Amino acid sequence: MHALQRNYWAVRDYLSPVLKESKFKEHGRITPEEFVAAGDFLTYKFPVWTWEKGDASKARDYLPTEKQYLVTRGVPCLRRAASLAYTDADEDAERLLSFAEGSAASGAGDEWVETHTGRTSVRDSADNAGVIDDIPDLDGPSDSATNAMAKMSLASGGNAPAGGDTPDLDEIPDMEEELEEADEATAAPPKVPPKGTAAIDSESSRANLLQVRTYDVMITYDKFYQTPAIWLLGYDENGTPLRPPQIFEDVPADHAFKTVTIEPFMHSTSLQAALVHPCKHASVMKKIIERMNNSVIEDQRKSGTSSPKDKDSKKKWSLKRLASGTKDDKSAATGEEEEVEGIRVDYYLVVFLKFIASIVPTIEVDSTTSF
Amino acid sequence: MTSEPQIVQFTPFSSLVQPSFWHSLTKLKIDVLKLSQDEVPVTASYAAGRSVTDRETGQDVALGCNLILGGDAFEKTAQVPPHSVKCVGTLKNYNTIEEFKDADKPALFNKLADEMWDEISSAKDASDVSEILNRFLLITFADLKKYRYYYWFAFPAFAAKPAWTLDPSGWQGVESTFTQEALSNIQSQITTSTNTPAFFVLLSNANDPSRFEIHPLSSLESLSDQDITVGFIDPSAHSDHPGWPLRNLLAFLASRFRTRFTTPGSQHLKVRVLCWRDTEAVPVSGKWKSRLGTVSLSQSQSTLSRPSAVGWEKNPQGKLAPRLADLAPMMDPARLADQAV
Repeated sequence: MHALQRNYWAVRDYLSPVLKESKFKEHGRITPEEFVAAGDFLTYKFPVWTWEKGDASKARDYLPTEKQYLVTRGVPCLRRAASLAYTDADEDAERLLSFAEGSAASGAGDEWVETHTGRTSVRDSADNAGVIDDIPDLDGPSDSATNAMAKMSLASGGNAPAGGDTPDLDEIPDMEEELEEADEATAAPPKVPPKGTAAIDSESSRANLLQVRTYDVMITYDKFYQTPAIWLLGYDENGTPLRPPQIFEDVPADHAFKTVTIEPFMHSTSLQAALVHPCKHASVMKKIIERMNNSVIEDQRKSGTSSPKDKDSKKKWSLKRLASGTKDDKSAATGEEEEVEGIRVDYYLVVFLKFIASIVPTIEVDSTTSF
Repeated sequence: MTSEPQIVQFTPFSSLVQPSFWHSLTKLKIDVLKLSQDEVPVTASYAAGRSVTDRETGQDVALGCNLILGGDAFEKTAQVPPHSVKCVGTLKNYNTIEEFKDADKPALFNKLADEMWDEISSAKDASDVSEILNRFLLITFADLKKYRYYYWFAFPAFAAKPAWTLDPSGWQGVESTFTQEALSNIQSQITTSTNTPAFFVLLSNANDPSRFEIHPLSSLESLSDQDITVGFIDPSAHSDHPGWPLRNLLAFLASRFRTRFTTPGSQHLKVRVLCWRDTEAVPVSGKWKSRLGTVSLSQSQSTLSRPSAVGWEKNPQGKLAPRLADLAPMMDPARLADQAV
């Protein structure tokens, strides 16, 4: 059944046209060109991110061959999602629902959503001044919600850890057989414990409480949904790849198996990775972008450093910039100015990472906190 | 207070093998190696050690001292990630689990260690020294039907006898010695060079003593400057323990440049070491992670013969035993189908 669905997705992806026109302000979607522009900006500002070309046979022709997807390696993940502690979970959960489903659900959420869709700036920004301050708000609801869900859920969040961490039974005898010979083999290494390993292990914090997992995070461009998509590949503290149930420990329960599933990675012939399914990304991104955009306009009005612009002129402006194709230089040069001029498409991935950070709160994908 | 001088302790490498490496190994085994058990060169990399601040407790948590093997490890032109140091190692893949178990590991290890020591002690040019000092050995058995990969790394390092000791001042933050400006300058020199230098020599500029310049290790042969700092990209993030590469660097210095680092009138080798850990963005807070310390070695024995080497990686249980990467959950079509429901 799943294979069928996956094939359907593949065909759909193949058939769907490449988005040509910039839609990022209206729909939260971006064109491949904008994806590259935003990716260039991300890699420039945050060198932990790099472009990869992936498997040649899987290269997408609407992206440059050297810039097929973005990757950052060794993203730390200190805690499991279920261990996050929150308060007022129920109330927040309602907000999340409305957040995810557009304007469908509860009161609090509706209000939040409508304020932004309905009008331009003033009250919004007054409530949440500043671009950065908005972000915790977005994180908050979903985190708390996930916690609420994790508590209720019996299956995925709770049981997995116990099974996941113990090594396979047939693994152990093999290792012990090996052990004797190994001791002989490395007669010198008994020196190692005093010199390093033992001392460090006991001192380091991972011996106490934390299991620091690391993740390789990939951002690909999803042609059908016209948004970036996030892929996760995890390792435990010993560098062993995580199994799917272990990865789902880092995904809040209401996302695991639904928004986050294990899929074949689209730029490799054989690799499997956890995909945060991008079907809702566009609408969420639209909301976040509007929100940030509005507060930027508000800031600008308050400070009065330059004349306010309305949305249309800004859209044209960002389009024009795109056509000119010089994002990198300019973004490098005009550090402060761009804040005043509203959200640019270059920022898309920076914003996107903040949104992803709310889906997988314990994985520190958002290294962009200086923004 | 005359306490015993503290012995320098090094954080050993811990291997991090990306699943894509196992995919590449599978391909190589089926298409190229077949039943051959010959040694194959592989490329790995390590980057400066990172630590992350725990948002709940505010503590700095050190991340692993990782040597990373990726999917392109078998390619001759393997690209290492930016700001990473390339290491070349040897992979030996066995056809059966029995052969893997019965492999003559000491022989393999000693062969590699001998090679390394030959190059360290020979009078050859020191320019490619990073390639020599950062070698590793990897033995594997790939159970292709079950998607299981048994593997064991060794990172040979030469043990000094007696051990290197740390000055009483210990490992210090770099701010106490260098100005912010000098640090930024050093960082930009490290990050802008096309190949991140694994090891380097830090010298103050003749005209402007507050500025520092990075020179390759080979320049030690011609330098007469007394105030030399030897630096390396430190994969460890642990504040009191530099990373594994320093061990071989010190062995190299003690062997090749013994007289340069010997303080006149004493029997001690003294080396000022910079553990460089700031290859990523300039710290906003001005908090640098790099460490500086002075280590010394009492010069009692000659080092003509190869010192003993250590470095087999321990498994997660802390035993000297191979590790297992079980990729069945991520590769086995049957398991994937189960999981996807």
